[in-house]
Amino acid sequence: MSEIEIRDDLVQAHARAWARLAEPGVWLTAAEKVWTAEEVRNARACPACAARKAALSPEAPIPAHVSTTDLPEARVDVIHRIVTDADRLTRSWFDRIVSEVFTVEEYIETVGVIAEATAVDRFDAALGRPLRPLPAPIAGAPSRLAMPAAKDEGFWAPTVAREDIQPSDREAAQAMYLNRGAVNIHRALSLVPESVVGFFDLDDAMYLPDALLRDFAQEPRAVTHAQIELLAARVSALNRCLY
Amino acid sequence: MVLLRGSGEHAGETYDDTFAIDSTAESGVADADVLLAFAESAVLDADDLTTRREAVRERMGDAAMVDAAGVIAIFQAVVKIADATGAPLEDAKAEVSAGFRAELGLDEFKAG
Repeated sequence: MSEIEIRDDLVQAHARAWARLAEPGVWLTAAEKVWTAEEVRNARACPACAARKAALSPEAPIPAHVSTTDLPEARVDVIHRIVTDADRLTRSWFDRIVSEVFTVEEYIETVGVIAEATAVDRFDAALGRPLRPLPAPIAGAPSRLAMPAAKDEGFWAPTVAREDIQPSDREAAQAMYLNRGAVNIHRALSLVPESVVGFFDLDDAMYLPDALLRDFAQEPRAVTHAQIELLAARVSALNRCLY
Repeated sequence: MVLLRGSGEHAGETYDDTFAIDSTAESGVADADVLLAFAESAVLDADDLTTRREAVRERMGDAAMVDAAGVIAIFQAVVKIADATGAPLEDAKAEVSAGFRAELGLDEFKAG
Protein backbone atom coordinates (compact mmCIF):
# COMPACT_ATOMS: atom_id res chain seq x y z
CA MET A 1 0.00 0.00 0.00
CA SER A 2 1.32 3.45 -0.86
CA GLU A 3 1.88 5.92 1.96
CA ILE A 4 -1.34 7.40 3.27
CA GLU A 5 -1.87 10.79 4.80
CA ILE A 6 -3.34 10.81 8.28
CA ARG A 7 -4.99 13.98 9.50
CA ASP A 8 -2.82 15.89 11.92
CA ASP A 9 -5.22 15.92 14.87
CA LEU A 10 -5.29 12.13 14.76
CA VAL A 11 -1.50 11.90 14.60
CA GLN A 12 -1.25 14.24 17.56
CA ALA A 13 -3.88 12.35 19.58
CA HIS A 14 -1.98 9.10 19.09
CA ALA A 15 1.28 10.79 20.09
CA ARG A 16 -0.36 12.12 23.26
CA ALA A 17 -1.64 8.63 24.08
CA TRP A 18 1.87 7.19 23.81
CA ALA A 19 3.26 10.06 25.92
CA ARG A 20 0.62 9.30 28.59
CA LEU A 21 1.50 5.63 28.46
CA ALA A 22 5.13 6.40 29.30
CA GLU A 23 4.25 8.42 32.42
CA PRO A 24 3.67 7.13 35.94
CA GLY A 25 -0.04 6.75 36.52
CA VAL A 26 -2.34 7.36 39.43
CA TRP A 27 -2.18 3.81 40.79
CA LEU A 28 0.20 2.07 38.34
CA THR A 29 3.86 2.75 37.70
CA ALA A 30 4.92 3.70 34.19
CA ALA A 31 6.55 0.29 33.80
CA GLU A 32 3.28 -1.44 34.76
CA LYS A 33 1.43 0.67 32.19
CA VAL A 34 3.87 -0.08 29.38
CA TRP A 35 3.92 -3.79 30.32
CA THR A 36 0.12 -3.75 30.21
CA ALA A 37 0.27 -2.38 26.66
CA GLU A 38 2.82 -5.07 25.78
CA GLU A 39 0.50 -7.76 27.15
CA VAL A 40 -2.35 -6.32 25.08
CA ARG A 41 -0.20 -7.21 22.06
CA ASN A 42 0.79 -10.60 23.43
CA ALA A 43 -2.83 -11.55 24.08
CA ARG A 44 -3.81 -11.41 20.43
CA ALA A 45 -1.38 -14.21 19.57
CA CYS A 46 -1.64 -16.16 22.82
CA PRO A 47 -2.61 -19.85 22.40
CA ALA A 48 -3.94 -19.95 25.96
CA CYS A 49 -6.31 -17.09 25.14
CA ALA A 50 -7.43 -18.87 21.98
CA ALA A 51 -8.10 -21.99 24.04
CA ARG A 52 -10.16 -20.02 26.55
CA LYS A 53 -12.09 -18.26 23.82
CA ALA A 54 -12.96 -21.65 22.33
CA ALA A 55 -13.94 -23.20 25.66
CA LEU A 56 -17.58 -23.37 26.69
CA SER A 57 -16.70 -21.76 30.00
CA PRO A 58 -14.15 -18.96 30.41
CA GLU A 59 -13.28 -20.56 33.76
CA ALA A 60 -12.06 -23.78 32.12
CA PRO A 61 -8.35 -24.54 32.79
CA ILE A 62 -5.97 -23.17 30.15
CA PRO A 63 -2.21 -23.42 29.59
CA ALA A 64 0.13 -20.62 30.65
CA HIS A 65 -0.21 -17.36 28.73
CA VAL A 66 2.41 -16.06 26.34
CA SER A 67 3.93 -13.23 28.36
CA THR A 68 7.02 -11.10 27.86
CA THR A 69 6.75 -8.79 30.85
CA ASP A 70 7.46 -8.83 34.58
CA LEU A 71 3.79 -8.49 35.48
CA PRO A 72 2.50 -11.17 37.86
CA GLU A 73 0.80 -14.08 36.12
CA ALA A 74 -2.58 -13.21 37.64
CA ARG A 75 -2.43 -9.71 36.18
CA VAL A 76 -1.38 -11.05 32.81
CA ASP A 77 -4.42 -13.32 32.89
CA VAL A 78 -6.74 -10.38 33.60
CA ILE A 79 -5.24 -8.28 30.80
CA HIS A 80 -5.35 -11.11 28.27
CA ARG A 81 -8.92 -11.94 29.22
CA ILE A 82 -10.12 -8.36 28.79
CA VAL A 83 -8.40 -8.21 25.39
CA THR A 84 -9.61 -11.53 24.02
CA ASP A 85 -12.75 -12.56 25.92
CA ALA A 86 -14.28 -9.40 27.34
CA ASP A 87 -17.86 -10.27 26.43
CA ARG A 88 -17.81 -13.13 28.93
CA LEU A 89 -16.62 -11.07 31.90
CA THR A 90 -19.05 -11.10 34.82
CA ARG A 91 -19.63 -9.25 38.05
CA SER A 92 -18.54 -12.28 40.07
CA TRP A 93 -15.26 -12.43 38.11
CA PHE A 94 -14.68 -8.73 38.78
CA ASP A 95 -15.37 -9.15 42.50
CA ARG A 96 -12.79 -11.92 42.68
CA ILE A 97 -10.20 -9.96 40.71
CA VAL A 98 -10.42 -6.86 42.89
CA SER A 99 -10.05 -8.93 46.03
CA GLU A 100 -7.20 -11.17 44.81
CA VAL A 101 -5.29 -9.43 41.99
CA PHE A 102 -5.76 -5.67 41.91
CA THR A 103 -7.18 -2.91 44.03
CA VAL A 104 -10.28 -1.58 42.31
CA GLU A 105 -8.40 1.59 41.39
CA GLU A 106 -5.52 -0.38 39.86
CA TYR A 107 -8.04 -2.43 37.91
CA ILE A 108 -9.81 0.62 36.50
CA GLU A 109 -6.53 2.25 35.50
CA THR A 110 -5.47 -1.02 33.86
CA VAL A 111 -8.70 -1.07 31.84
CA GLY A 112 -7.94 2.48 30.72
CA VAL A 113 -4.45 1.52 29.57
CA ILE A 114 -5.81 -1.53 27.74
CA ALA A 115 -8.37 0.67 26.00
CA GLU A 116 -5.87 3.29 24.85
CA ALA A 117 -3.34 0.70 23.69
CA THR A 118 -6.09 -1.19 21.88
CA ALA A 119 -7.31 1.94 20.09
CA VAL A 120 -3.86 2.91 18.83
CA ASP A 121 -2.74 -0.61 17.91
CA ARG A 122 -5.97 -1.54 16.17
CA PHE A 123 -5.80 1.65 14.13
CA ASP A 124 -2.31 0.78 12.92
CA ALA A 125 -3.35 -2.81 12.26
CA ALA A 126 -6.46 -1.77 10.33
CA LEU A 127 -4.31 0.37 8.05
CA GLY A 128 -1.68 -2.35 7.61
CA ARG A 129 0.96 -0.30 9.38
CA PRO A 130 3.52 -1.83 11.74
CA LEU A 131 2.65 -1.40 15.40
CA ARG A 132 4.54 1.57 16.80
CA PRO A 133 7.28 0.85 19.35
CA LEU A 134 6.12 1.03 22.95
CA PRO A 135 7.57 3.98 24.84
CA ALA A 136 10.24 3.70 27.52
CA PRO A 137 8.63 4.09 30.96
CA ILE A 138 9.49 7.25 32.86
CA ALA A 139 10.67 6.78 36.44
CA GLY A 140 8.48 8.03 39.23
CA ALA A 141 5.86 6.95 41.71
CA PRO A 142 2.12 6.81 41.02
CA SER A 143 0.29 9.83 42.41
CA ARG A 144 -2.18 7.63 44.34
CA LEU A 145 -4.90 10.29 44.36
CA ALA A 146 -8.24 8.80 45.34
CA MET A 147 -11.73 9.97 44.39
CA PRO A 148 -13.61 9.88 47.72
CA ALA A 149 -16.87 10.97 46.05
CA ALA A 150 -17.05 7.77 43.99
CA LYS A 151 -20.18 5.75 44.72
CA ASP A 152 -22.19 2.80 43.46
CA GLU A 153 -24.06 3.87 40.32
CA GLY A 154 -24.72 0.40 38.96
CA PHE A 155 -21.30 -0.26 37.48
CA TRP A 156 -19.04 -2.96 38.91
CA ALA A 157 -16.65 -0.37 40.36
CA PRO A 158 -17.61 2.89 42.09
CA THR A 159 -18.00 5.83 39.74
CA VAL A 160 -18.15 9.61 40.08
CA ALA A 161 -21.28 11.50 39.08
CA ARG A 162 -20.90 14.91 37.50
CA GLU A 163 -22.69 16.57 40.42
CA ASP A 164 -20.29 15.01 42.94
CA ILE A 165 -17.18 16.66 41.51
CA GLN A 166 -16.00 19.33 43.94
CA PRO A 167 -14.09 22.55 43.16
CA SER A 168 -11.29 21.18 45.34
CA ASP A 169 -10.94 18.02 43.21
CA ARG A 170 -7.87 17.77 41.02
CA GLU A 171 -7.64 19.07 37.46
CA ALA A 172 -8.37 15.72 35.80
CA ALA A 173 -11.57 15.35 37.81
CA GLN A 174 -12.68 18.84 36.78
CA ALA A 175 -11.88 18.05 33.15
CA MET A 176 -13.26 14.54 32.73
CA TYR A 177 -16.83 15.52 31.85
CA LEU A 178 -16.03 18.90 30.30
CA ASN A 179 -18.02 19.19 27.05
CA ARG A 180 -19.25 15.61 27.54
CA GLY A 181 -22.62 14.15 28.40
CA ALA A 182 -21.28 12.15 31.37
CA VAL A 183 -23.11 9.17 29.91
CA ASN A 184 -22.27 5.72 31.20
CA ILE A 185 -19.27 5.09 28.97
CA HIS A 186 -17.76 8.36 30.21
CA ARG A 187 -18.39 7.42 33.83
CA ALA A 188 -17.09 3.86 33.55
CA LEU A 189 -13.47 4.81 34.33
CA SER A 190 -14.23 7.83 36.52
CA LEU A 191 -12.68 6.30 39.63
CA VAL A 192 -9.45 7.34 37.86
CA PRO A 193 -10.32 10.66 36.17
CA GLU A 194 -7.00 10.72 34.30
CA SER A 195 -8.11 7.55 32.49
CA VAL A 196 -11.34 9.23 31.38
CA VAL A 197 -9.50 12.32 30.15
CA GLY A 198 -6.92 10.23 28.31
CA PHE A 199 -9.28 7.81 26.61
CA PHE A 200 -11.73 10.44 25.46
CA ASP A 201 -8.93 12.59 24.11
CA LEU A 202 -8.36 9.68 21.73
CA ASP A 203 -12.08 9.13 21.23
CA ASP A 204 -12.62 12.74 20.15
CA ALA A 205 -10.06 12.31 17.35
CA MET A 206 -10.93 8.76 16.28
CA TYR A 207 -14.74 8.95 16.62
CA LEU A 208 -16.31 12.36 17.19
CA PRO A 209 -16.27 15.00 19.93
CA ASP A 210 -19.51 14.91 21.95
CA ALA A 211 -20.62 18.28 20.63
CA LEU A 212 -20.70 16.91 17.08
CA LEU A 213 -22.35 13.56 17.81
CA ARG A 214 -25.87 14.82 17.22
CA ASP A 215 -24.98 17.72 14.93
CA PHE A 216 -26.10 15.92 11.82
CA ALA A 217 -25.91 19.11 9.76
CA GLN A 218 -22.11 19.02 10.01
CA GLU A 219 -20.00 16.21 8.61
CA PRO A 220 -16.52 16.87 9.99
CA ARG A 221 -15.06 13.56 8.83
CA ALA A 222 -14.56 11.94 5.45
CA VAL A 223 -17.16 9.39 6.53
CA THR A 224 -20.68 10.56 7.41
CA HIS A 225 -22.46 10.29 10.76
CA ALA A 226 -24.45 7.39 9.34
CA GLN A 227 -21.32 5.61 8.14
CA ILE A 228 -19.61 6.19 11.50
CA GLU A 229 -22.56 4.75 13.41
CA LEU A 230 -22.81 1.84 11.00
CA LEU A 231 -19.17 0.96 11.72
CA ALA A 232 -19.57 1.46 15.46
CA ALA A 233 -22.63 -0.77 15.64
CA ARG A 234 -21.02 -3.53 13.59
CA VAL A 235 -17.82 -3.48 15.66
CA SER A 236 -19.87 -3.67 18.86
CA ALA A 237 -21.86 -6.59 17.50
CA LEU A 238 -18.74 -8.44 16.34
CA ASN A 239 -17.44 -8.06 19.88
CA ARG A 240 -20.79 -9.24 21.28
CA CYS A 241 -20.95 -6.07 23.34
CA LEU A 242 -24.20 -4.83 24.84
CA TYR A 243 -23.12 -1.23 24.86
CA MET B 1 -27.90 2.69 16.91
CA VAL B 2 -29.53 5.72 18.56
CA LEU B 3 -27.28 8.06 16.60
CA LEU B 4 -27.75 6.10 13.39
CA ARG B 5 -31.48 6.53 13.81
CA GLY B 6 -30.99 10.26 14.48
CA SER B 7 -28.78 10.59 11.44
CA GLY B 8 -31.41 8.88 9.33
CA GLU B 9 -34.15 11.14 10.61
CA HIS B 10 -32.05 14.18 9.73
CA ALA B 11 -31.41 12.87 6.23
CA GLY B 12 -35.01 11.73 5.74
CA GLU B 13 -33.84 8.13 5.46
CA THR B 14 -34.75 5.00 7.34
CA TYR B 15 -31.77 2.79 7.94
CA ASP B 16 -32.22 -0.92 8.56
CA ASP B 17 -30.06 -2.00 11.51
CA THR B 18 -30.04 -5.69 10.57
CA PHE B 19 -26.50 -5.06 9.29
CA ALA B 20 -25.25 -5.16 12.89
CA ILE B 21 -25.73 -8.92 12.97
CA ASP B 22 -25.61 -9.61 9.22
CA SER B 23 -23.11 -7.47 7.35
CA THR B 24 -24.59 -8.52 4.01
CA ALA B 25 -28.00 -7.05 4.88
CA GLU B 26 -29.03 -3.89 3.05
CA SER B 27 -28.79 -0.96 5.48
CA GLY B 28 -29.49 2.00 3.23
CA VAL B 29 -26.24 3.68 4.34
CA ALA B 30 -24.00 4.71 1.44
CA ASP B 31 -20.99 2.47 0.85
CA ALA B 32 -22.03 0.18 3.67
CA ASP B 33 -20.89 -2.88 1.74
CA VAL B 34 -17.22 -1.91 1.64
CA LEU B 35 -17.23 -0.32 5.11
CA LEU B 36 -18.77 -3.33 6.83
CA ALA B 37 -16.42 -5.70 5.03
CA PHE B 38 -13.45 -3.59 6.16
CA ALA B 39 -14.72 -3.52 9.75
CA GLU B 40 -15.24 -7.25 9.86
CA SER B 41 -11.78 -8.08 8.53
CA ALA B 42 -10.10 -5.52 10.77
CA VAL B 43 -11.79 -6.81 13.92
CA LEU B 44 -11.13 -10.45 13.06
CA ASP B 45 -7.59 -9.91 11.68
CA ALA B 46 -8.74 -11.70 8.56
CA ASP B 47 -6.45 -12.59 5.68
CA ASP B 48 -8.46 -10.42 3.31
CA LEU B 49 -7.99 -7.23 5.35
CA THR B 50 -5.72 -5.63 2.74
CA THR B 51 -8.18 -6.32 -0.07
CA ARG B 52 -11.12 -4.99 1.90
CA ARG B 53 -9.23 -1.90 3.07
CA GLU B 54 -8.20 -1.15 -0.50
CA ALA B 55 -11.83 -1.49 -1.58
CA VAL B 56 -12.72 1.34 0.81
CA ARG B 57 -9.80 3.37 -0.46
CA GLU B 58 -10.75 2.92 -4.12
CA ARG B 59 -14.44 3.68 -3.56
CA MET B 60 -14.19 6.43 -0.95
CA GLY B 61 -10.61 7.75 -0.91
CA ASP B 62 -7.72 7.86 1.54
CA ALA B 63 -9.29 10.17 4.09
CA ALA B 64 -12.41 8.01 4.40
CA MET B 65 -10.28 4.90 4.77
CA VAL B 66 -8.34 6.53 7.61
CA ASP B 67 -11.47 7.81 9.33
CA ALA B 68 -13.13 4.40 9.02
CA ALA B 69 -10.03 2.77 10.53
CA GLY B 70 -10.23 5.24 13.41
CA VAL B 71 -13.85 4.39 14.19
CA ILE B 72 -13.21 0.65 13.88
CA ALA B 73 -10.24 0.91 16.22
CA ILE B 74 -11.75 3.13 18.88
CA PHE B 75 -14.86 0.97 19.15
CA GLN B 76 -12.74 -2.11 19.75
CA ALA B 77 -11.54 -0.16 22.79
CA VAL B 78 -14.95 1.19 23.80
CA VAL B 79 -16.39 -2.32 24.00
CA LYS B 80 -13.57 -3.39 26.31
CA ILE B 81 -14.28 -0.50 28.68
CA ALA B 82 -17.99 -1.31 28.65
CA ASP B 83 -17.51 -5.05 29.16
CA ALA B 84 -14.74 -4.75 31.76
CA THR B 85 -16.59 -2.25 33.93
CA GLY B 86 -20.11 -3.63 33.69
CA ALA B 87 -21.27 -0.31 32.24
CA PRO B 88 -25.07 -0.34 32.29
CA LEU B 89 -26.87 0.39 29.05
CA GLU B 90 -28.85 3.64 29.05
CA ASP B 91 -32.60 3.19 28.56
CA ALA B 92 -32.67 4.86 25.13
CA LYS B 93 -29.85 2.66 23.85
CA ALA B 94 -31.41 -0.45 25.36
CA GLU B 95 -34.66 0.19 23.53
CA VAL B 96 -33.03 0.70 20.15
CA SER B 97 -30.68 -2.28 20.43
CA ALA B 98 -33.19 -4.74 21.90
CA GLY B 99 -33.55 -6.60 18.63
CA PHE B 100 -29.95 -7.39 18.01
CA ARG B 101 -29.24 -8.08 21.68
CA ALA B 102 -31.92 -10.74 21.59
CA GLU B 103 -30.60 -12.11 18.28
CA LEU B 104 -27.10 -12.47 19.72
CA GLY B 105 -28.30 -13.76 23.10
CA LEU B 106 -26.37 -11.06 24.91
CA ASP B 107 -28.93 -10.31 27.60
CA GLU B 108 -29.07 -13.93 28.69
CA PHE B 109 -25.32 -14.18 29.17
CA LYS B 110 -24.89 -10.91 31.00
CA ALA B 111 -27.72 -11.76 33.34
CA GLY B 112 -25.80 -14.84 34.49
